[in-house]
Amino acid sequence: MGGAHHHETFISKYIFSMDHKMIGKQFLITAIFMAVIGMGMSILFRLQLAWPKEGFAFLNFFLGDKWAPEGVLDPNMYLALVTIHGTIIVFFVLTGGLSGTFSNILIPYQLGARDMASGFMNMLSYWLFFLSSVIMLASCFIEKGPASGGWTVYPPLSALEKAMPGSGLGMTLWLVSMTVFVASSLIGSLNYIVTIINLRTKGMTMVRMPLTIWCFFITAILGVLSFPVLLSACLLLMFDRMLGTSFYLDSIYIGGEPLAQTGGSPILYEHLFWFLGHPEVYIILLPALGLTSEVISTNSRKPIFGYRAMILSILAIAFLSFIVWGHHMFMTGMSPFLGTVFTFTTLLIAIPSAVKVFNYLATLWKGNIKLTTAMMFGMGMVSLFISGGLTGLILGDSALDINIHDTYFVVAHFHIVMGAGAIFGMFAGVYHWFPRMFGRLMIPQLGYLHFWVTLIGVYGVFLPMHFVGLAGVPRRYYTNQEFEMFADVQFINVIITLFAIMAALGQIIFIFNFFASIFRGRVSNQNPWKSNTLEWTAPVERIHGNWEGPLPTVHRWPYDYSKPGYDDDFVPQTVPLKEDEHDGH
Amino acid sequence: MVLLLTIIITVLLVGVAFAKILQAKQLVDELKDKDSDYITRAEIKTNALGLLVFVIAMFALLIAQMVGWNKYMLPSAASVHGGEIDTLMDVTMILIMTVFFITQTLLFWFGYKYYFRKGRKAFWFPHNNSLEMAWTIVPATVLILLITYGMSTWGKIMNPEDEPDLHVEFVSEQFKWTARYAGLDNKLGEASFSLYGKNALGIATEKSIKERIAECEKMISDVGSISEFYEKDFGVSHEDLRKSLKHWETDSTISFKGLRADSAKFELLIAEDWNRQENLDIVENSLANYKANILRLKRMLREYESSPQKYDNGKDDIVLSGGRIKLPKGRKIKFQFRSKDVIHSAYFPHFRAQMNTVPGMKTYFTFEPKETNQEFFDKAASEGKVYMHITRDDEKNILAQEERLGSTGYVLICNKICGASHYNMKMFIDVVEPEEFDQYLRDLTFGNDEKSIPVSVFENE
Repeated sequence: MGGAHHHETFISKYIFSMDHKMIGKQFLITAIFMAVIGMGMSILFRLQLAWPKEGFAFLNFFLGDKWAPEGVLDPNMYLALVTIHGTIIVFFVLTGGLSGTFSNILIPYQLGARDMASGFMNMLSYWLFFLSSVIMLASCFIEKGPASGGWTVYPPLSALEKAMPGSGLGMTLWLVSMTVFVASSLIGSLNYIVTIINLRTKGMTMVRMPLTIWCFFITAILGVLSFPVLLSACLLLMFDRMLGTSFYLDSIYIGGEPLAQTGGSPILYEHLFWFLGHPEVYIILLPALGLTSEVISTNSRKPIFGYRAMILSILAIAFLSFIVWGHHMFMTGMSPFLGTVFTFTTLLIAIPSAVKVFNYLATLWKGNIKLTTAMMFGMGMVSLFISGGLTGLILGDSALDINIHDTYFVVAHFHIVMGAGAIFGMFAGVYHWFPRMFGRLMIPQLGYLHFWVTLIGVYGVFLPMHFVGLAGVPRRYYTNQEFEMFADVQFINVIITLFAIMAALGQIIFIFNFFASIFRGRVSNQNPWKSNTLEWTAPVERIHGNWEGPLPTVHRWPYDYSKPGYDDDFVPQTVPLKEDEHDGH
Repeated sequence: MVLLLTIIITVLLVGVAFAKILQAKQLVDELKDKDSDYITRAEIKTNALGLLVFVIAMFALLIAQMVGWNKYMLPSAASVHGGEIDTLMDVTMILIMTVFFITQTLLFWFGYKYYFRKGRKAFWFPHNNSLEMAWTIVPATVLILLITYGMSTWGKIMNPEDEPDLHVEFVSEQFKWTARYAGLDNKLGEASFSLYGKNALGIATEKSIKERIAECEKMISDVGSISEFYEKDFGVSHEDLRKSLKHWETDSTISFKGLRADSAKFELLIAEDWNRQENLDIVENSLANYKANILRLKRMLREYESSPQKYDNGKDDIVLSGGRIKLPKGRKIKFQFRSKDVIHSAYFPHFRAQMNTVPGMKTYFTFEPKETNQEFFDKAASEGKVYMHITRDDEKNILAQEERLGSTGYVLICNKICGASHYNMKMFIDVVEPEEFDQYLRDLTFGNDEKSIPVSVFENE
């Protein structure tokens, strides 16, 4: 290993690459592609919600006469779009895209390793991810449309083809795609865990790791423990659909016939699904918080406040995330006592989350804040984490959930905290580590414009959406014109759609900035943000093995910004401690 | 087409603008020193100011929404337990809005106040134990109080101590609700999915079970006679036909060995898609489903013989499928929910009541309505609530909308994705004075000629 003397062909360098930097970029570009599709779908169905049953040439252009006759969206296609939008954004963008990109790029770089523990497994992880993306997209082009039972695909709706057209071949492909996805995620996560445990460079103790690495580490552990449960849920659903078993089916009368399959329970599926589903929220959120921690500390020119408290709160959040899944199921008719237990554990998560927020605020206090584009997105992420987290106190309370369960209030809550929040974390990461990935900088002016359009768009969409929920409008309604009481808030739907279109168009700025900067961006120096972590000690040219010569040695924690006794406002981790100096925290 | 052109032209123009910006930017960058800062002081200052403006604008708009849109939100609860939910909601709202305003203000204010100045050094402040203790313990204490309050409210709602005064059942299916009163004995009769058919809610009595067995046996003989039809008209068995047709699908040149039918009849079969494997599978699945059902029903009948009184409860039950149901004010009502096909959720927004309906499972929710429709309407009006009254034409297009004071009245809607018409699954509810309700129930039980209400009980003896 080491050195640039390594024969590379085009295929081994750009396609079947085993280099963590290239794999990270492959994940990122795939995720951007999937995000564009997922976001585009949301605009298609937002048009229907704002102007129900009105014809749009635009819709007809994208969906054709079958799914949008005369430009009016078909109800089945509406549900299909909602389902695939959710699946793509949750799994392909925010799980595969976020973790895949930044775990790959940052784990070896920030730990001082030459590459991942297993380059081959890493490559396999990407290509399985790619395969599952292709299957998911392919399912949109089949005769009866893709899966349409909502991204949670609860049986019996998803198990019975007679229940809706999307529960036919489309649903089968959804399950196959998710199975492949779980395999990709497991292989990736195991690799991350092994690399973090084994390949830290000399001096890089666990409590000298940047918070990014801590977050990726805990995320990977969450993934390894929870994704297999989703896999079993998917497999049992496949058996019910194809082999005539009845794990999830009981007492069903459909298409004018009593079904012979009895004895199962649809609630079993919900338990299995949410046993993954809730940790999944933190699989999405923790990497975003990790990236934000690093970006905020570096650009505030201040150590992250309460480093150990931050690690403890990550661990607490991770632990609690496994015992709260029932709060998605308060209304399923499960024992009220269980509801009480899940309310208790759910609201406990607010404590470590509050600690994290206060620590971010303390980090900013009396800082010397360089408002780079990454920093703007980092602050946006904290703002969204607060806004979305607080409404969680309402939804996690079983008594309040009775009235707002499955209304637009829920939609607003989780889009702010784990949708937009995580996306903002991801943008912060892209802007901050773009020079590390491509040796060039993104254009800051376009970055600022992108930030403001996105921030205004996100709050413009989701703050009003809370009110739609408080008016009692259920989610996944093709139109709310069928009820006079919901027609009252129709004008809010129009406002939301307009902001959504604005935010979506704003992303064109980002995509242009991203691809233009790869080729034409300003050339970066080795450490553009004057950061302490190890990735900025590696040469700008992204060489195989990351460092020429020996690996760097670590002497201190990563947050010595503006430390008294130093002239510069940063002290890289590779600088030895002075004689009478204590390690930072 | 015009729209598409406009979009393309806009995208092109934006692209050109970006390219120009990029070009200018590169020229400027080349003039700059490579190691200088990548962003200018002016950029930082502008964006810092932007943060301040944004947070003020966001607060102002949020408050404007809370005040201005309040008239469209749900009126205060129309049930006894709903009042407690509303109070808990208000307490939680006040708490989270306080935290929201304080933390967001600090976040954006710090971003503005401490923006980068050259030569200034940030304050070295890596941790502070007492501060960290404080902001762990204070949220923990507040949350424990909130949790205790929430859990006790939940406990009271979900574990009602008193026996209910009235039992009512709602059964969901794609895409409608059907309701059932327990009748004069106030006991809901047993029901089973094996009995759905003509018996809309599958109520189990000796008569209904026997009728259903007969119905299923007829189905089987009907399906069976399809096979006979093949044999008679085509001279082949179902099995042989199936094999030949399978061949036909893969190889169109094959002659129909053993088939003596004329081509017109084949055309008919193909037109009805009988040359497809799936359709032959469907027939066989149906046979299996009905055979299994008959077995279940016969088992049920044996059970009935051992405890007949259990099956008498259903006889006086009253099934309501008109999309409207009456409920008495001021009585404890226990709702029982069942589902025929997929999971639905029974959501009564005005009563602050909700429960999923799950196939294979009975779920319950107990509550007490406290206002009749008129009282609720008047209360909503006094709270300043409005609703849009919509005038539609025959094709359901909206002709006009006007705001009216009050509320549109109680409704039961579906709140769990259940298929294409999920958005249109409703039942209207009238809450009436208890005396009026009792009279209504007697009318349904014994019939009332004056009001032209026929006897509506499930099984009239």
